[in-house]
Amino acid sequence: MSDLELNRRQLLAAGAGLALTAYGVSGCTVERPLDRSAAGDIVEPKIDGDLLIYNWAQYMDPQIQKDFAEEHGIRVTEVNFDNLEAMVTKLRAGGAYDLIFPSSEYVKRLKNEQLIRQFDRSKLPNAATLSPFYDNPWYDPDSEFSLPYAYYTTGIAYRTDQGLTMTESWNDLSNPDAEGRIFMLDDFQEGIGQANLINGFYLNTARTEELEVSKETLLMQKEGLRGFSTNSVQTLVSGSAAITQAWNGDVVNARNQVDDPSIFAYETCKEGVPVGTDAMSIPITAKSPGTALMFMDYLLKPSNAYRNVMWNGYPQPVAGGREAFAKLVKDDPSIDVNLEEIADSSMEFRLEDPEARQEWTRIWTEVKA
Amino acid sequence: MDPDLDRGQGLNQSRFWNWFVAPGALWIGLLFAVPLFLVLALSFGHVDDFGRGVYGFEWSNYEAVFDSTYVPVLVRSVTYALITVILCLLIGYPVAYFIARFGGKYRYVLIAALVIPFFVNYLVRTYAWVALLADEGLVNNWLIDLSLTDAPIQMINTPYAVIGGLVYGYIIFMILPLYGSIERMDPSVIEAGKDLYGSPFRTFIHVTLPATQPGILAGCVLVFLPAVGDFVSAQLLGGPDTYMVGNLIQDQFFAASNWPFGSALTVVMMLFLAIWMIFYLRRATRGEADVL
Repeated sequence: MSDLELNRRQLLAAGAGLALTAYGVSGCTVERPLDRSAAGDIVEPKIDGDLLIYNWAQYMDPQIQKDFAEEHGIRVTEVNFDNLEAMVTKLRAGGAYDLIFPSSEYVKRLKNEQLIRQFDRSKLPNAATLSPFYDNPWYDPDSEFSLPYAYYTTGIAYRTDQGLTMTESWNDLSNPDAEGRIFMLDDFQEGIGQANLINGFYLNTARTEELEVSKETLLMQKEGLRGFSTNSVQTLVSGSAAITQAWNGDVVNARNQVDDPSIFAYETCKEGVPVGTDAMSIPITAKSPGTALMFMDYLLKPSNAYRNVMWNGYPQPVAGGREAFAKLVKDDPSIDVNLEEIADSSMEFRLEDPEARQEWTRIWTEVKA
Repeated sequence: MDPDLDRGQGLNQSRFWNWFVAPGALWIGLLFAVPLFLVLALSFGHVDDFGRGVYGFEWSNYEAVFDSTYVPVLVRSVTYALITVILCLLIGYPVAYFIARFGGKYRYVLIAALVIPFFVNYLVRTYAWVALLADEGLVNNWLIDLSLTDAPIQMINTPYAVIGGLVYGYIIFMILPLYGSIERMDPSVIEAGKDLYGSPFRTFIHVTLPATQPGILAGCVLVFLPAVGDFVSAQLLGGPDTYMVGNLIQDQFFAASNWPFGSALTVVMMLFLAIWMIFYLRRATRGEADVL
């Protein structure tokens, strides 16, 4: 018998060892604790190294990054995430990104978890022209941990050349004219949210009995769906979607990619229009927090906001950004966003109760299964 | 030379060479055994208020795996993977047979031509199918230009597209082992079959097929294992009813932020696949014993 072979006693000992280790780690979280010593310090806007940006794909004009890099003689790198939960996971694991783009709800979560850093926005000259709503948003009182990047509404994009009868209602996601050619956003909040609105419930309801009703609505809608996808630009442009739940900026982008932009229209729904803000924050793990703050200010510069909006199709609540978006949507006011709607935070996704959040994700998983 | 002395040296030498196992063992230990154990430990855990996984001792995740909601997902994944295996075998066998028996001096060129597309990332290759098969994609545009159809045919976002994507993605794992065992087969046994008045079909069934059985078995396992856990094909080419267990697991780790449940699903999948693997290894070793 070779030395390497285990006898029964050794096997039992090894098993007991594993069990003991399991008992030892029981109660620990998956990630090692992060160094949060920088949490109390206020970030100063000064160039302190190369910049690593962590953002949604296709959400920022790369030329702006090149110009900033040239101006300050540093390197700017962008990497992308495709959902916020993945972004948070990377941060908790110690990912040293300098600038991130969480939604308003995630700003609050990251702040509670001490994963983002504080700064003084009065030191940023270009923040002065931000819409007043963002002086004191619900997710970040006094705006000390975030600045708004872009805002959006959720509605329905559809083809105008296929004789569809649209009703400005979320029920259009089960429009019989387009059966089998309808997409729903692959996003648990957008999916369940519109079902809640159809049923007349509060957008962020945590009531189990209401969520069960909305689950039935979703299962009914699923019958006529062609798929779940957050890539609305692709489903629209490739011709696979006749109707899709979509974010308004993506409709602008889809129009930019076809010869005849009038084939795509966008409607907001009478049951309610979910609105949202994507913000900019500096993670606790940032290596160049000062550069990140400088770049935030650079993005808010009117000329940069203007070209960024013309590039990504999403409105920015700052001088330059507002004008650019008005120009983009002058023929179709439905794509525009009313900032008052954002102030009405009942139409913004916010699941602050962790149990409600788990209930929502469970229902969404069951719907998709 | 004294044979005993020689044996002694050999023993010392083998002890010395044993140390060369250390880097590999360390690698497997750190990057395979430890993560595997963490997944196992986490599968008994739960989620804290921030949505982070916390280790613990509870069965609830395993109860959820066998909840009636998720059983259809498991069944669907296995069904898709089995159909994929059968299609890969039906397509891959003639291809491998042709190259091995009739490829002549071009054999290696043909094998390289089959392998080279697989150097491109699987995700990118699957996106290419989306561009080709979309309603206003290349294929539908050709069909309409040639007046073969009036309206675009829905090809993507269907179960067929998902299985097609799996077949395309993994067929090379079928062709290569088949090619190996067909090439190793002594062609004279086929001639012997014919000499014994076997029709081509009977010769194939009674001679070629049994002789290449190890390759068939290896190919089936190599295709089945990745296909059953795949999520790319269903995500890009699938519709609302093609959700596979790979998608379920991926969603638990990202969108739903429920790592413990994702881990429990992973453990159940691994146990299920391990059964297949053991079955295969036992068959394979018995096969070798038969040959000897």
